[in-house]
Amino acid sequence: MYIGTSKLTHTYWPGTPFAADALKNISFSVGQGTFTLLIGPSGSGKTTLIQHLNGLLKPSAGEVYFDGKKIGPDKAALLALRRRVGLVFQMPEDQFFSETVFDEIAYAPRNLGLDEKKVEERVNRAVAQVGLERSRLLDRHPFQLSAGQKRRVAIASVLSLEPEVLILDEPAAGLDPEGKGNLLNLLSSLNRAGKITIMVSTHHLDEIAALADNLVVLNEGGLVMSGKTKEILARGAELKELGLALPQVTGIMHELAARGLPVSTDIYSLSAACDEILQAKRADQR
Amino acid sequence: MAALKTEIIIETRALCYSYAGAEEVPPAVAGIDLKVSRGEYLALLGVNGSGKTTLLKLLNALLIPSQGEVLVKGISTVEAERVQLVRQACGMIFQNPDNQIVATTVEEDIAFGLENMALPAAEIRRRVDQVAGRLGLTHLLRQPPHLLSGGEKQRTAIAGILAMQPACILMDEPTAMLDPAGRRDVLETVKELNKTEALAVVHVTHNPAEAAEANRIVVLEQGRIVADGKPGEILTDLKLLHGLKLQGTVAAELAHLLRQRGLNLPTAILQNRELVESLCISEPVS
Ligand SMILES: Nc1ncnc2c1ncn2[C@@H]1O[C@H](COP(=O)(O)OP(=O)(O)OP(=O)(O)O)[C@@H](O)[C@H]1O
Ligand SMILES: Nc1ncnc2c1ncn2[C@@H]1O[C@H](COP(=O)(O)OP(=O)(O)OP(=O)(O)O)[C@@H](O)[C@H]1O
Ligand SMILES: [Mg+2]
Ligand SMILES: [Mg+2]
Repeated sequence: MYIGTSKLTHTYWPGTPFAADALKNISFSVGQGTFTLLIGPSGSGKTTLIQHLNGLLKPSAGEVYFDGKKIGPDKAALLALRRRVGLVFQMPEDQFFSETVFDEIAYAPRNLGLDEKKVEERVNRAVAQVGLERSRLLDRHPFQLSAGQKRRVAIASVLSLEPEVLILDEPAAGLDPEGKGNLLNLLSSLNRAGKITIMVSTHHLDEIAALADNLVVLNEGGLVMSGKTKEILARGAELKELGLALPQVTGIMHELAARGLPVSTDIYSLSAACDEILQAKRADQR
Repeated sequence: MAALKTEIIIETRALCYSYAGAEEVPPAVAGIDLKVSRGEYLALLGVNGSGKTTLLKLLNALLIPSQGEVLVKGISTVEAERVQLVRQACGMIFQNPDNQIVATTVEEDIAFGLENMALPAAEIRRRVDQVAGRLGLTHLLRQPPHLLSGGEKQRTAIAGILAMQPACILMDEPTAMLDPAGRRDVLETVKELNKTEALAVVHVTHNPAEAAEANRIVVLEQGRIVADGKPGEILTDLKLLHGLKLQGTVAAELAHLLRQRGLNLPTAILQNRELVESLCISEPVS
């Protein structure tokens, strides 16, 4: 098993009146080089699960695996794990601890023992990858930024680690349309060309579903669906029951199909929708 | 009633703001003249770092203008002794529901602002019950806020603001952390109050579909207003939006792609159903 869990249960505040099972008996795994989306309503356990995959929480029961090995309490092993599995937090502020944006992004490569020239190269590359290259923000305190700029810095400070697994918790929240588009292109190329394993938790499937191999769906701490993106998104009614939504273009394709236009409904991106509609229109004409 | 409609709630005059220590870079807000009337629902768009949050904080007296002024119901936000009145007239909701919950139960949280207004206990009780009923929170009044879903927390924050009976609510990406159901909850609640009570709304969003629900759209770029109009005008003007690095709704963007590929579609498409209608009657590809 590359990454996954076996019968993972997590209880916050065990033994107190606030005790709550945030994860119940979760077993799943993803293969190396895959792209997985983790979805589920607010409070379903996405962030809790993601934190286990990075060794930030300790299972109340069950196991978490990475690269065939159980993630254990051993400190050295946990540090080694965090060099290979990068995690972008849901709240950028929770991740920041440096005095400047530069130091924040330089932290991971410095920690790897790279010399300052290599560190600077990595920082510059990460800054360009998140579209902050012309922004002159590197000397500021990470808190002296707009919401979207903080998000970009949080992503850059994990990219600079160049991990083999990239886990992002709701990474597009607060990004403007261009920032979102760039993030998706970046994730797609890291996954396809760089063979990086990617896992993203999100409430919004627009465009990103077109990149994902697999979908994992949580509800109230339990795993309720998991499988190929296409298989899961074909179960729109069940997702709706959970308060989740299909990509908007998928909704449009369903309406068109219902009106008799011969289009496929397994469409998750604007460009795929455009091709599909044109093809259907041409078929109609003949 | 016509006179009420044009009652100005917020007025800014040549408003500028520079963050301390950032005086050498262009100001975050760089000369804004804006009026918001009773009953208006204004969506504020702009790329990351364009000044939206800074503007909202100026309207709420969380920041004091570097130059120019802000009048809320005729009170200037520099009048320190009347800041409480400004905040009562104009309440603010932030992106992250977790950051704005202060008390240990939902009920206390909603009452928090009212306590500060030194209202009689019976009046506080009446208002808390009324607003909780309106927002569907009655069954949760005695719950600790950390046990609520994201949407419920965000509605609790909104309830705390509405209990003060403000003339205007300022919302900074209020749905960014919410699932589709929570998002719908929050937006429907605010829209309803906008219609029935003529509550003025200023809603910052990166989501064109949310902006399409407003009755006026203002776009910021580098701290200045660069567009101001009806959603039907601004959100269908893709040349304008793309020039500002923004996007139209999914339906507008898809229609745009299809037009570029030779499909004959009207230019005013904003909503999914308009696109579906046009596609089901439009001429085949030329
Ligand atoms: N530190 C904590 N202490 C106690 N309970 C917690 C804590 N963190 C999360 N929980 C609870 O655990 C459950 C799962 O929370 P989690 O943050 O994993 O959900 P999520 O799926 O990431 O939600 P969202 O979409 O809102 O980010 C929720 O009921 C939440 O209230
Ligand atoms: N505390 C601060 N100190 C210094 N500069 C700041 C601070 N907060 C914001 N800025 C800068 O002011 C400008 C406007 O920021 P603001 O937060 O208003 O943008 P925004 O439009 O809300 O962006 P976003 O969509 O990313 O939330 C940005 O260039 C930002 O870097
Ligand atoms: Mg979460
Ligand atoms: Mg902002």
